[in-house]
Amino acid sequence: MTVGARILIIDDDDDFAQAVTTLLKRDGHTVLTARNGREGVLRARRDGPDLILLDVMMDERTEGFFVAQELRRAPELARVPIFVVSAVYSEQPEFQIAPDRGWLPHDAFFRKPVDGDALLAAIRGALVTRSDTATRGATP
Amino acid sequence: MVEGSGEAGEAVRIVVIDDDFAIRLACEQALTKVGYRVAAYADGAHGLDAVGELKPGLVVVDLKMPGLSGLDVISRLHAIDPSITIVVITGYATISTAVEAMKAGAYDFLPKPFSPDELRLIVRRGFERRELQLTSQQCELERELQRRRFVTFVSHQLKTPLVAVHQYLDVLRQLGDDPEATAKRQDWLARCLVRTDELRRLIDDWLTLAQIEGGLLGRQRARVDLAQVVPGILHSYDALAERDGITLRAEVAGPCPVHGDPTCVGVLIDNLVANAVKYNRSGGCVTVRGRRVGGEVILEVADTGVGIPADAIPFLFDDFYRVRRVGAPKVEGTGLGLPICRRIASEMGGVIEVESQDGTGSTFRVRLPDRGDTPDLP
Repeated sequence: MTVGARILIIDDDDDFAQAVTTLLKRDGHTVLTARNGREGVLRARRDGPDLILLDVMMDERTEGFFVAQELRRAPELARVPIFVVSAVYSEQPEFQIAPDRGWLPHDAFFRKPVDGDALLAAIRGALVTRSDTATRGATP
Repeated sequence: MVEGSGEAGEAVRIVVIDDDFAIRLACEQALTKVGYRVAAYADGAHGLDAVGELKPGLVVVDLKMPGLSGLDVISRLHAIDPSITIVVITGYATISTAVEAMKAGAYDFLPKPFSPDELRLIVRRGFERRELQLTSQQCELERELQRRRFVTFVSHQLKTPLVAVHQYLDVLRQLGDDPEATAKRQDWLARCLVRTDELRRLIDDWLTLAQIEGGLLGRQRARVDLAQVVPGILHSYDALAERDGITLRAEVAGPCPVHGDPTCVGVLIDNLVANAVKYNRSGGCVTVRGRRVGGEVILEVADTGVGIPADAIPFLFDDFYRVRRVGAPKVEGTGLGLPICRRIASEMGGVIEVESQDGTGSTFRVRLPDRGDTPDLP
């Protein structure tokens, strides 16, 4: 059961965030938003979302990378899935640099504009996996 | 056998490899005297070991030595450090070998006997060329990196508005006749128009920039009197200024002629005034001044806005740079206005500067050469 997940969108483009928010809300999720990396990390730590959608190029060209690393360093957020959503970076290596999970920790990668159905399906999948492992972890 | 000289702790800049003790001594003396730290070796094998360890910038090597030949030494030196500068010492009888050495990558050759001055001259030139080569390699590398960063950045800037529009349309399509869609449709379509307009302006600015760089704009040279063009440009901002209670003032003393492409001069002033209005406070003031001082025509556009943080100033004229303020509302713009101004000013033989007090306002100053009232140039 995944209805009612709290999803944090960290993106500096209000229009993109608004469109995706509508999509997520229709699928039963609650949406939190942050307009830059700093605000995103603060909200994530304060509100403890179930999943994070993260843009890469915000105020600073590489802001998303630092945010992802920062989020992974926080113990309470270490297991929160991060979906990177970017118009520039992709799973394909660009300029000989592949977005390695080491320097850009992420659980899934989406190219902007995002395919709504694919995004919603991946979110459902990630939340199911997460609740499964959480249950298993709780079992002695 | 090491016969290094000079002070300890200082990096060795030159290694001399020659089996002739007298030549080693002469080289050391001649070069140490003018401040180089020198290490000398009697054969190729020891010399190469030392080069690997000491990493000198320049090696002086004799071509005819027992053991490893000079040519062998040269190829192995380049294997150790491709950027190393090599000067070969050769007897008259081995000039053809010297030519071979040059082909193998030696920088120059010095026929025996040579004077200390000849050695010093060739070594100094060798170092100069090496500096130049290293600098240009570095520049090339930086240019390439910057080009890649730039491509990433431009594609990001161009895609961002497109992505927003696509996402809105896609979600609207998915919502179909849902009552939620009816409520959002008008608002979102209006946003789509704003964003497509942003994209159009971005492409326009981008083209202007490319045209200036490609020499397509700015070719025309005409006399443009600031006293005549400034009021007109200010007038075009009347409505916007009135909305925010901003006063527009022109203070251009007498004829104030600059020489350039009239379209470019217009774009330059217009961009600066647009910024001064956009980044002003309500009830503020925009002043455009023009004057001729000491062989220059100075154009100033001053505002009474929030000013520019000191740490943002070095990046202000970079393509796509936008000053971001935490908590401040986003001001629309392409991030190409000031880069365009910088290119136009430089195209006209001038410079653009900025003075800013965080919190009280900024003054942009364009300094152009005063070519007087010479008639229009072709």
